[in-house]
Order: sequence, then structure tokens, then C-alpha cells
Amino acid sequence: MNVQVGDSIPEWVMESVRPERMRTMAAILRDPNPVHWDRKAVAALPFGLGERTINQGPLGLSYMLNMLMDWAGPTSVRRITMRFPNVVLDGDRMVANGTVTAVREEGGVRLADCDVWLAREGEQPCLEGTATVALPED
Amino acid sequence: MAEIQPPVEEIRALVGHEFPGGKYTVAHWENFLLTECTGAEPLPDGQVHPVVLFHMPILGANTSIGGMFALGQAESDFSIGIESYDWEIERPLHEDVEYTVTGKVTEADRMEGSLRGASRGVYDRIQFRFELHEPEGNFAASSTITWTYRRSRS
Repeated sequence: MNVQVGDSIPEWVMESVRPERMRTMAAILRDPNPVHWDRKAVAALPFGLGERTINQGPLGLSYMLNMLMDWAGPTSVRRITMRFPNVVLDGDRMVANGTVTAVREEGGVRLADCDVWLAREGEQPCLEGTATVALPED
Repeated sequence: MAEIQPPVEEIRALVGHEFPGGKYTVAHWENFLLTECTGAEPLPDGQVHPVVLFHMPILGANTSIGGMFALGQAESDFSIGIESYDWEIERPLHEDVEYTVTGKVTEADRMEGSLRGASRGVYDRIQFRFELHEPEGNFAASSTITWTYRRSRS
């Protein structure tokens, strides 16, 4: 796989963040926080978010994992570190993006370090961080 | 900060707290549903979607999200914020493999500043680290969770 510093990773799009997926995720995670499944609980918060549930942080992170795995293969992700400056809400269209910041070799494996982020089109990132991916051999 | 509860000494004393630890096996149904939630197709060869690295270490270490809220004496579910998640994957995880899980608190302290969506205030920053090992003892993956616990002045 020919990868250079500065390359863009093909974007991955979640067309609409679905509240029923948050509910399934809340059950799997045993996550008691109602902001993920009760729209009225979110509307009652002093943040002006309206009646829309808040996507779990790991779900937003998973969109970037999907982008990286589609690009470099299902076993490629070695590390991902993520911060969460803004929330993702049900109904949002989210786009995962990334760029390669370094290509190096470690233990005989070619690795790509990347900046990755998740944003609504044309807006500031809701999630942003870094990832290290093992590159497949040509 | 004397009026802030709990006392900062109780928060700092959390460093080194170890969860009971235990085992966790991801069944096919769990991986299927989890992967569907991410919007992806199932991964090949029974590989578990890496998003499992949020809840699997927590539950495998014999704690829970609610238990971690309670450990930090959260004022409510709404007072918790995410600072960061840091996941390392040495070996991809697979369905029907029994992983050994350990977890502990690695950092805990009181801070003052601005948090997402809120004005400047006092919060406690607590970091948890979990490790997963394969049945043969090989290190498989780790998850480092850093949460903030917003505090009110009483």
C-alpha cells in the first residue's frame, strides 16, 4: 500500500445518526445515562440541544474506526486516541476524515500515524484525535 | 475549594484503586449488534469490532459505567464528561475467546477550568486504565478512559 505523508484517508459517512442504535448501544454497554435514550431528558438540560438524544462517545469513535478499517484493512488499527469537543445528536449526518502525518517502520511493520476527526459538513469537529494504523504490504 | 464535595483527599485517594477483574467473552450476537450500531458490516473471521474496547474492559473488570460514576461520587449522570479515550490494540479481538481483564484508577485530581457546554467551574478528573490478555497470557489490548466529574459549590 503506497501511503505518503499528507495523504487524505477516504472519508466515511454516517448518513443519519439513529436513536434506535443508541438505545441498542445503551443496552449492550449497560449505560444508565438517559441522554442516550430519553429525548426529554436531553431537552431538560441547560445546553439548548432540543429533543434529540446524544450519541455515545464510543459510537462516534467507531465511525473513525470504520474509516480506518475500510482504508487499511480490518486488523489494521493499532491505536486510537480521541477527544470529544462537541456532542453528536440523533439525526446528524456525520463525516469521518483523516490525513496521514507520518509513515514509519516498527518491528518490521509499516505504520501510518494519522490525524482523524468527525464533523458535520462544514462545521468544527465533534471528535478529534490521532490513530496509528498498520499498512498492508503491497 | 473547601465547600466542594467530596473532599479532594477522597478523590486523590482513588489512585491505585483496583477493580475486581475477571473474564469476558464476546458472543457472536453481541458482536453482531455492536457492529450494526456502528453502521459497518460484520468483520471477517469472527473478529470483534474494536468499538468493543469501551464496554468490554469495564464489564470484564467486574465494574460498570454506573459503578465508575459512583466511585467518583458523581453528582448525577449529567455531571460526567469525556476528556478522552485511548485504545491500543496489540492483537485483534475475536468472538468466543475468553479474555482476562484487569482495571484500576491511574490518575485522580481536582481541577478548575472550562468544560464542554458549561461555564468555568470545578471538576474532578479521573483516569481509568484497563488491560485485556488472551487465554495464553499475551497482551491483547488496553483502554484508557479519562472522565471529568463536574462539581457544584454547596
